[in-house]
Amino acid sequence: MKVEVTKEWCLAMANLEGDAEIGAGTYAFDPVFNGESLHEESAEEPTIAFSRFVRLMRRDRGLTLEQLAEDADVEIGELIEIEDDMRHRPEPRTVYQLARLFDVPGPKLMQIAGLTASNDNRLAEEAVKFAARAESVAALTAEERAALQAFVMVLSKEDLEPS
Amino acid sequence: MTVTVSPVFLFNTQTGQPEAAELLDAITDKQLADWEGEWIPELFKAIQKLHRAGVDRVHWPQSRHWNWRAKTDALQGMLAYPGFSIVADGMTQGMMLIDTATKRCRLDVQKGKDLAYVEYVENAPWNRPELAQPPLYRGIGSVLIRAAIALSESEEMKGRIGLHSLPQANNFYANTCGMSDLGPDASYHDLRYFEMTPEQAETFIEKGQRS
Amino acid sequence: MMPSKKTMTLNLTDAEMQALEALSERKDVSKTAVLRQALRLYQLVEARAERGDKLFFEDEKTKDKAEVMML
Repeated sequence: MKVEVTKEWCLAMANLEGDAEIGAGTYAFDPVFNGESLHEESAEEPTIAFSRFVRLMRRDRGLTLEQLAEDADVEIGELIEIEDDMRHRPEPRTVYQLARLFDVPGPKLMQIAGLTASNDNRLAEEAVKFAARAESVAALTAEERAALQAFVMVLSKEDLEPS
Repeated sequence: MTVTVSPVFLFNTQTGQPEAAELLDAITDKQLADWEGEWIPELFKAIQKLHRAGVDRVHWPQSRHWNWRAKTDALQGMLAYPGFSIVADGMTQGMMLIDTATKRCRLDVQKGKDLAYVEYVENAPWNRPELAQPPLYRGIGSVLIRAAIALSESEEMKGRIGLHSLPQANNFYANTCGMSDLGPDASYHDLRYFEMTPEQAETFIEKGQRS
Repeated sequence: MMPSKKTMTLNLTDAEMQALEALSERKDVSKTAVLRQALRLYQLVEARAERGDKLFFEDEKTKDKAEVMML
């Protein structure tokens, strides 16, 4: 439907509204990312899993780094760091873009990337297991593919533990 | 889906100038993409900053099953749930979802009458004073409430609208919008329920015309 | 405010017309508005029922639930 409103009205109201919070309804609640604290230091294993996960998902799709950067709409420089440097802390937006492209839950991938903490120990364990199985840089072996698929399933499960 | 675009204006605090924007009578894939790709990461960063600064966010209820995309998917094509969004500079700046079928007025003077209930309304993170200093665009709330009133009128509900305000927004709805405050709703996370009468709707519209 | 509208002619029985007029008076809206509101609600109910959800009335006093639609 068309809403007729003048420029003058909009600007007059913008002036009255000023810098105001306007949120209403429960969907406007700020998401508490996984309900846990956002913390500075992160265990290294999760980040290694993230690095390997991104690399394997990319190779599984037969993409170069450039192509992945384009498909996910992220900086190629960051992708290189993510895949090569286990200690790299990715940008939250990058993680969410990759989650969207790989079709896995964003919040779970954030945990794997070491950006959010959680007391979901099983996810951390599965991440370590996955990282160990997915070591080689060569062509995706049948075992690597199996490991990758298993880990994707782990990520996509609602909640591994009651919390 | 056919989307109708209405031209509106926002105030850009960075340029200090008015800026042309679009009011859409829908929440489209573009809004969802912007929400996932830009709103969420910005929200995350801003909340992280607040957390590091020691600001207590613990009182926010956990939104474990919060999934905006799933909600909008379920409502696709439902006449009872029209959406609105504002786009400026190629980016979604605000979104609103309205329920035109299942809610009734609570205010004594109009008890039981139909109303356009604002199920959800939100500003992009960079437009929110809590998360951005200074917020980028001003006026999104007013335009969206104006749209809700317009929708209410088009359905012969005479401009009656209602909503549950988040605590930090109570002032906007009570004062700028001039709605009646029916107090915290125990059945809805104790959020304050606000309702607008046809007279208040008229006053709200006149406010912008007089100033 | 609505840009393009389509027109339809309805054939209603006397009883149906009476019910429509009564609702229109009670809700202080036009008959068209009543029917459009009914359509919105009906579409919503049908969509939920299709998903397998049940529709109930709840007795205000006893809190007894009575199922409205059987599929």
